[in-house]
Amino acid sequence: MAVYKRRYNPYTGAFSPEWSRFFVLTRYAFAGLFKSRFFVILLILSLVPTLFFAGYIFIANNKTAQLLMQLRSAGLFSVETQYFMFIMIVQTQLAFLLNCWVGPVLIAGDLTNGALPLFLSRPFSRADYVVGKLAVLGLLLSAVTWVPCLLLFSLQAGLARNGWIWSHLWMIVPIVLCSGIWILMLSLLSLAVSAWVKLRIVATGVIFISFFIPAGLGEMFNAIMSTRWGILLNFSYLFRLIVEKGFHERTGQLGRGWDEIPLPAAWGVLILVCLLSLVILNARLRAREVVRG
Amino acid sequence: MELRAKPIRSDWYMMNPTIELDGLEVQLGGRTILHGLTGVLKSRAIGLLGPNGAGKSTLINTLLGFHSPSKGSARVLGLDSLTNGKALRSLVGYMPENDAFISKMSGVRFVRYMAEISGLPPNQAMERAHEAFVYVGLGEARYRPVGTYSLGMKQLVKFAQAIAHGPKVLILDEPTNGMDPPARKRLIELIREIREASDICLLLSSHLLRDVEETCDEVLILRNGQIASICNLVEERRANRKFLEMETIGAEATFTSALEGLGCECAVFTNGRIKVVMPDSVEIREVFKVAADKGVQIRRMNHRRDSLEDIFLNAMEQTGVADGRI
Repeated sequence: MAVYKRRYNPYTGAFSPEWSRFFVLTRYAFAGLFKSRFFVILLILSLVPTLFFAGYIFIANNKTAQLLMQLRSAGLFSVETQYFMFIMIVQTQLAFLLNCWVGPVLIAGDLTNGALPLFLSRPFSRADYVVGKLAVLGLLLSAVTWVPCLLLFSLQAGLARNGWIWSHLWMIVPIVLCSGIWILMLSLLSLAVSAWVKLRIVATGVIFISFFIPAGLGEMFNAIMSTRWGILLNFSYLFRLIVEKGFHERTGQLGRGWDEIPLPAAWGVLILVCLLSLVILNARLRAREVVRG
Repeated sequence: MELRAKPIRSDWYMMNPTIELDGLEVQLGGRTILHGLTGVLKSRAIGLLGPNGAGKSTLINTLLGFHSPSKGSARVLGLDSLTNGKALRSLVGYMPENDAFISKMSGVRFVRYMAEISGLPPNQAMERAHEAFVYVGLGEARYRPVGTYSLGMKQLVKFAQAIAHGPKVLILDEPTNGMDPPARKRLIELIREIREASDICLLLSSHLLRDVEETCDEVLILRNGQIASICNLVEERRANRKFLEMETIGAEATFTSALEGLGCECAVFTNGRIKVVMPDSVEIREVFKVAADKGVQIRRMNHRRDSLEDIFLNAMEQTGVADGRI
């Protein structure tokens, strides 16, 4: 199709590898996201605590700075397991807020105006579509959870010396693993909700309340049935439980005995939420909806 | 790794029929929508006709792999829609009937995005997107968000994204919906131009018989999920059979049977309307003579060729489509 000739010419050039095409979605999604000022501000705000955490680690390892600040208590600055647990909890909560905003933007825009058949009429499967969108959330939420955590871990390892890194190396596993399940659950849940309700604002609201309403229902269930299993509907609680068990520490934030619910049950529920989200995505992400009856 | 576009030989469509339907049955929501369609369509430009609910869109969706056949199979250029879905879709450019766009994206970016998903590298996709936009006549509006476009412009954007990646099979579902007459005419010209300038195969579904007549060589007419007719328009045009359209008063039955005795084919409609296909050996004065003999008044007579409208109406009025075969 030469412009000056205004006539159609078939395409005879090169094609990109099929396996890499999901990344087109990711690239375009990021380009779209960074056009939004609100998103940029939210992302920056999500990373601001990391700077404070880094400053804390710097001061904790710098006697001169402590003297200059007239801080004489040696135990005031302690960068140990509990500190990294605290960073994890803060950053994953920020990731939750970021996910509430970004998740619906990714899918709702395609679904509200029926663009999905255009994607799926190409050599591009529904799995490619979901992977492309998941990659956006995966990269974004990683950037505010385990990546800053590991950077802070490296900073501490570099400043503390004296073999600190070798005695704390095991922490990399819970940092990555706990962030991983949280990111996966948040991403899949937000994509599934967005695919279900289609409207961006409504989807954001539904994702938000999907963490609070079930938790409230679980508490009611506990009170009525005099049991403890209702807590399984409190996803934040389950995540903290996994973090505490992973770090072999207590944050004191759970407000209950830390071994109240078995760890496999907590993992099981989070994985179940992921699977349920995949089922919803499978049902809703179709080129053509079929009305029964 | 770089993949080159697989060249399709110009006689590809001669070797493989464009569309092959083999007992195709599709069930959706517990209802059978397509009832064992069987047929072979060999032309490069195929029109899909039928009233609402006939199964045109379901057939297109099945060819694209959106619906799985419950029985039978459908093949496009020899590729099975179910087992070779991805390979088939890599050849296809699809323009859906309904709204399909990303409203906040600029038109040219949207087309580029779709071309990249089809496998074009970013630079090539951008170039082709701009060319497609100019080609369809939306060059001036290319940087506006698609959501702000008029209905006709949205149709053209859908058309642009369907051709930008240079497909081998172009599937257009009601392409002229919502377009004013000049825009419709322009789009039909573009479709014809694309068809003539390349070895592209065309499947066009439309309610407008004129659209199909102007762009297609072969027509598949569906009714109630069954094939009502497969008609090769090229052969029909070539046959150049003599047609008479009459309005009569009097004994229609004896009149038509007498005409059939002369070797004519007759179709009787309401209010004394009769259409007659005359063999070359029969002259019009013989028709007048038969009418006079049978006491039938001929109030109006048109001498015309068979049109797609006639083919369509005949197909709709025919009964006893037993197994989907004509």
